[in-house]
Amino acid sequence: MNAVTQAVTAGGVVDIGWVQLLLATGFIIVTGAISLALGLGLVRDLSIATVRTYVQLLALGIVLRWAFGFNTWWLVLGLLAVMVLAAARIILKRSPDAPPGLFAISAVSMATTGFIVTFAVTAVVVRIHPWWDARYVLPIGGMVLGNSMTGIALALERVFADLDSRSGEILALTALGATPWEAARGSVITALRAGLIPTINSMAAVGIVFIPGMMTGQILAGADPLAATKYQIVVMLMVSAATAIGSIMAVMLSYRHRFTSDGVFLEKGYRG
Amino acid sequence: MLLQASNLTITRPGDSGPVTIVSDASLSLREGTLTDVVGPSGSGKTTLLLALARLLPDVRGELVLQGKPASEWSPQEWRTRVALLPQTSSMVTGSVAANLLLPYTLKIRDHAGPAGMSAAGAATAASHTHAPTADALRAALDQVGLADIALDRTAARLSVGQASRVALLRVLLTAPAVLLLDEPDAALDDESAAQVAAMTAEFVRGGGAVVRVRHLRTDVAADALYRLEAGRLTEVTAR
Repeated sequence: MNAVTQAVTAGGVVDIGWVQLLLATGFIIVTGAISLALGLGLVRDLSIATVRTYVQLLALGIVLRWAFGFNTWWLVLGLLAVMVLAAARIILKRSPDAPPGLFAISAVSMATTGFIVTFAVTAVVVRIHPWWDARYVLPIGGMVLGNSMTGIALALERVFADLDSRSGEILALTALGATPWEAARGSVITALRAGLIPTINSMAAVGIVFIPGMMTGQILAGADPLAATKYQIVVMLMVSAATAIGSIMAVMLSYRHRFTSDGVFLEKGYRG
Repeated sequence: MLLQASNLTITRPGDSGPVTIVSDASLSLREGTLTDVVGPSGSGKTTLLLALARLLPDVRGELVLQGKPASEWSPQEWRTRVALLPQTSSMVTGSVAANLLLPYTLKIRDHAGPAGMSAAGAATAASHTHAPTADALRAALDQVGLADIALDRTAARLSVGQASRVALLRVLLTAPAVLLLDEPDAALDDESAAQVAAMTAEFVRGGGAVVRVRHLRTDVAADALYRLEAGRLTEVTAR
């Protein structure tokens, strides 16, 4: 207990030494050994993922430390914009069959919902001053955008896959006089449900099956568990709303791109 | 003339530029006629039907329905009058009744209009119709040899032959002016094929025009016969 207390930094967090950080990799090495023994073929992917975890998170720590020190509104907004663009690129890579214009649609959907929800949390619920304080806006924005990205990527991947698998039904509906919306509605609903299920599942399991990362972090940093809970509820609800609205917006803006202006569904051979 | 297609050229994107599927095809349909289009597999017969129903992008040429060029019809209005029945019958999830009533759940048929399953007058009247009643649906099913199919039967449990008749009935109930049939009897048993032929003949007697795409064979019922080969449409016989 004494040793632990001695290691507590001014921020209230038990600091982890560089040697201890490397030790944490031990379990991944064990996993790699098991993969080798069973011939799972995961060693390369595991190694790359581990190195990426180190590099990306350490870079994030350095950037955040710098941003918190610098702390200007344009830097905060600029970093959020970079996050939005990076996420839009990831979404695009997840939907190789997507029609043109999906990058812009993803970026606009995430930017709109992400910015509104993030600043609603920081400015209205947490009431920070100034409204762009990097210490609050960047971590909360990161959580909101990260979750929105997962939801939007799932929903978009599903909507185009489902439209293709229903092409026969869509042709029959269009031939009966259906508009693109009437023909695509079933796929849109399927896709939105797919995009929102992870969010709904995590809302149902939170506090029973797992303690969310943000709350864990605050408790480790010495915060009162009830205060940490309140933050977590706010973030969880806001993240869910951002994911839902972002997914709906992205799917509604993009499904129409699979149809011509005459309402003809573009099957694979006609997409150019 | 009910439907006039002039110089239709249909292309699709290919790896090295657009590929022509059908070139310079012309076709005229009069009220109360049955036209067969025959040709080998892959000759573009389905593509031609899709173009007539305005269900393809990048089609050049002219389409005129009831004296009005295609540009004066909205694509949805056009398709309610020039109705395509795809080769594979797509049933939506739900009962047989839900499938027969599917066209009436679409915005294009929100407007009120005369009800009925006959094509009589369809050439001149609007295709907007009231949704048929359960009794009318029952009578329609009985009429096409589906007396043993309950209206609340799950559509997914229909046989191929039954589903194809339900799909054809679904289109006929909306009283289109032109009916485009893609290989209507290709996968059917003799009894189902005979029923489909009878339903088609009834539609023609009521004043509608039918274009029927068939693999190779045709029968004496057709009023005109076209052959589509290597993208070229030629009229073989006309009565």
